This record gives sequence, structure tokens and C-alpha cells, in this order.
Amino acid sequence: MSATGVIADDEPLLRAQLRSRLARLWPDLTVVQEMENGRDVEEVLQRHGPSVFFLDVHMPGVNGLEAARRIAGRAHVVFVTAYDEYAVEAFERGAVDYVLKPFTEERLALAIQRLRERLQAAPAHLEELVQTLAARLAPAPAAQHLRWIKASVGPNVRLIPVEEVIFFQSDDKYTRVVTCDGEALIRKPIRELLDELDPERFWQVHRATIVNVDRIASVRRGLKDQAEIALRDRPETLVVSRAFTHRFRQM
Amino acid sequence: MNILQLLEGLTLRRILWVTAICAVASGAASWIFVNTYFDLLLTALPVGYTSMLLFTAASNVRQAAMPREAMQILAIVAGSILGTILAGLLKGRDITQMFHERLAGVTISMGLGIGFGCVVVATIMLREKYARDQARILRAESERHQLEKGMLEARLQLMQAQVEPHFLFNTLANVQHLVETDPQAAARMLDSLIRYLRAAVPQMREAHSTLGREVEMARAFLEIQQVRMGARLAFRIDVPEPLRARDFPPMMLISLVENAIKHGVDPCCECGTVVIRAEEQEGRLRVCVADTGEGVKPKEGGGLGLANIRERLKTLYGGAAALVLEENAPHGVTAAIEVPAAA
Repeated sequence: MSATGVIADDEPLLRAQLRSRLARLWPDLTVVQEMENGRDVEEVLQRHGPSVFFLDVHMPGVNGLEAARRIAGRAHVVFVTAYDEYAVEAFERGAVDYVLKPFTEERLALAIQRLRERLQAAPAHLEELVQTLAARLAPAPAAQHLRWIKASVGPNVRLIPVEEVIFFQSDDKYTRVVTCDGEALIRKPIRELLDELDPERFWQVHRATIVNVDRIASVRRGLKDQAEIALRDRPETLVVSRAFTHRFRQM
Repeated sequence: MNILQLLEGLTLRRILWVTAICAVASGAASWIFVNTYFDLLLTALPVGYTSMLLFTAASNVRQAAMPREAMQILAIVAGSILGTILAGLLKGRDITQMFHERLAGVTISMGLGIGFGCVVVATIMLREKYARDQARILRAESERHQLEKGMLEARLQLMQAQVEPHFLFNTLANVQHLVETDPQAAARMLDSLIRYLRAAVPQMREAHSTLGREVEMARAFLEIQQVRMGARLAFRIDVPEPLRARDFPPMMLISLVENAIKHGVDPCCECGTVVIRAEEQEGRLRVCVADTGEGVKPKEGGGLGLANIRERLKTLYGGAAALVLEENAPHGVTAAIEVPAAA
């Protein structure tokens, strides 16, 4: 019985390898399309209506899981993956086949045999499985906080990971970004930074100052209900104005 | 500054000490003076307490006009004078009379107050200095511990395998295919893989390395990636021969190259170039990895690799080394490690 298939893998040699193995083990299958990632799944479905997709799980752009979600039961799916112990465990329980790279002829032959049997039936919906897998492959999408500060230093744009910043201080029109080995100026005002930075790590301590709490060496009480922060790796002391001292009580 | 802050340090202990000193001083003075012990104590206590209050306040006032010690001594002197006057008032004496007919006695009680006060101040100052020294020793010790911990962590990080299973299995899958289709290319790729593994597998790695070795490891990695990614990846290595013998910390360059692929070239579907360049300027060896990839997204982190490199550079070179990241033009990232150029 003849069938049509699509191979999606970002590595050209691995596409060629799967293609030649399939030609040998499943002569009735016509590979109608090769893809570098899952971006064009919709178009390929429209044009060829293939019966089966061989999807690499890890691909830049649209990965194999996202591609399977977009296929949404309109074709059978076999996942091809190099190494994902968690994912493999999930595959075992799901209504979908998988092949581990590098694969043996026997394993591929087994997958082909199962596919041939399943081709008669309607393809399984993979929504649930894909969600489980996606959660495992990309655990907990990190909170959307600012991770990089881009600051002009001479003609260059310096990239500073926020963890490296010891404090931010507004300075006229600019904001000073102070790290252990220097400082830079950015245009973003303190107000905007506050909204974007991780509030667990970066505390406002003054109208004009945000400090990285990981870089605080000590806090001592100062004049007029204020407090003073001594820093690790920097000689400056920062003033905590009265409105913000509550964060340092009981510490 | 409120009154409570001004009196910080006025503990019950301090009050008891002052009381005891006054009691003993009065006892000693009663041997010399004709006054009764009780009369002397009634002079000593006001002198002691006023001096104590002023001394405490002087210790807490923040001002830059004079050194704190001078303020404290002034406080003792003022306290002794005020205290003597207060004692006179308590005993119902006339103040003008005190400073005429009883001047000798008044002077003596002031003098005693000032004398005792200064001894007490000296004692306190010595104790504070001792405490400061102790704190400094403790701090130095904790810094040393931190440093040792840092070095240990750095070594541990080095020991941890850097070879990702994904990378390994995908590479082997490529080799598997090439063995059938292009045996010579398969041999070359295996060769690159062996060179990479030799450098990357912990048991085979040494604590010290040279720039040349690190560059060769990066080259092996890039060669493998180039086979895997095909036309999507190009790379260039521009490291002058004389610099290759230089000491360079292990596993840092490869980490930057892996970042350039993983976060730079791979995510953008077109194609990218990775350039490794080394140069010596003004006594510094600068090794940089530039990619023409995606560049950083403001809200996506660069992973632990960069923090590890920074930490290890700090442990190895103190403040003398740096990891600098910049935007590459027109897009992508340039990551540079700068270390002192010891020949």
C-alpha cells in the first residue's frame, strides 16, 4: 500500500539518512517533502496531504512538538529524537511512535510496521501528549523580567546581565548602571526599570535608587529614619529613604 | 535624630558601672576629704551621670566637625562641670557662692570627674578598637573562606561533564549516515569528535590549559557543528601563532562558542558566522567570540555559563580579568574574555 511522508529535521545529513533508510525499508512510501523545521506544516498539509510526518523534536523556529500540535490529527506522526529520557517515557504512554537517533534498522522497521497498521485508522489527536512534552522540554516559562541591560559604551553596545548590576541610580536625564567593574549610562528611567526588573531581586530603596539585594553587604540605621546600605564589591553606600526602610526591618 | 537614637548604648550595664565607679571614687575621696561619704557620693553621682549622658549623646551624634573622640572628651568635661553645679543645687547651695568661697572643692570635684571620665573613655575606646580588630580578622577569615569555596566550586564546575547527550547522539547519527554515504567525511567527523571529547571529558582534562588547546577544542566543536548544520554555519579562527602557547583557563572559550551556536546562530533559521579572535593589547590577552546570530532578547537569560565564567575569572585573577559582552554589528553578540597577558 502506498503512502506519502514528510521529513522534518534541521540537520541535512539526518534528513538524508532517514530518507535513504525509509527508501530501503518502506519502498511504498514516497517522501513528498523535507523541512528544516515545522514552520511550513500548514502549507505542506494543504499541498500534499501526507499520511505521515517524521518530526525531529528539537528544531530551531517551530519545533517538532509545535508542528505536531499544528498538524492536529490530520496526519500520523512519528517523533525522531536524539536523547530525551523524559520525553521517551511520555512517548511510551502516548498513542504516537518515536525513533531514537542514532537508530538501528530494526527499530525503524518496527516503527514502520506499526505505522502501516495504523494508517488505516484515523490519526490520533496529540494535543494532550504535546502539552505534556512541551512542559517537560521547556520547564516553567520564566517570569517575564528584564535579563539584559543594553548600555552604550563608546561606539559599542555593552550587554550586561542584570545579575551583574549592583545598583541603578538616576542621574539627571540618565540612569547609572553600576557593576563591580564599572558603570554605564542608559536612558531608561528608574520608574520603567522598576516595572521590568524582577521585584524579588531588585528593590527600590530611594526615589532615585534600585539595588540588587544579592549585592548588599550590610544595612545600618542612619539619620532621620533612613538607613544606609553597604555593598559587596563597591565602595559606595546607598541611602534608604524613610518610605522604603520597612523592607529592611526584621532582617 | 530622636532622643532614643541619641541615647543608643545607654544600657543598664553602663549605668551600673558609672554608679559603681562613683561609689568607689567617693570611698577613696572620703579618706582625703573631711566630707562624709554620703556627701561625696551626692557630688559624685550627678557628675558621673551627666558625664555619662553627654558622653553617650556625643558618641551617637553624627557630625563631621571634629573627631568623635574629641567630642566625647568635651562631653566629659562639660558633664563634670554641669554635674558639679547640679550637685551644688541638690545640696541647696548658692551657685555664685560655689564659684567664690567653695572654688577649691568645686574644682577638685570637677577635676576628679574629668579624670575618671577620661580613664573610662580611654577604656571604652580601647575596647572598641579591640572589637574592630576582631571584626576585621573575622571578615578577612570569611573572605578567605569565600575564596576557597569559590575555587572549590570552580574546580567542581570543571569536573562536570560538558558533553550534552543531545550533541553526542546527534553527532553519532551524522557519522552513522556518513559511514554509508561518504566514509572519508565520516572519518573526519569522528576525528573532530575524538578531539572534542578528549578536551571535554572531565577525566581527560587538566586544571591548566593553553589558548592553543582551547582553540583546537573549539575548532573541533565547530567542525562537528558545521557538518550537522550544513550551510547554516560558517566559522573563522583568527588566533596568531605566538599567542597559542599562552596560559588560558580551560573550558571558557568552548562555553562562549557553544553559546554563540545555541543562543546565536541556531535559533535564527537563516545562516550565521562564528569568529574566534585573539589579540594582545596593552598587556592584556583578549579572546573574543563573535556571532552574527539573533543577539540577546532583553527578557531571556543567558544561562549559567556566563555567570560561571565570571565567577571562575574572579577566582583565578581577582579583579584583573573580565568577561565583556557587546552587541555585534549589524546583529549578534561579541563575547570577550580579557586576562592579564603573562607571557
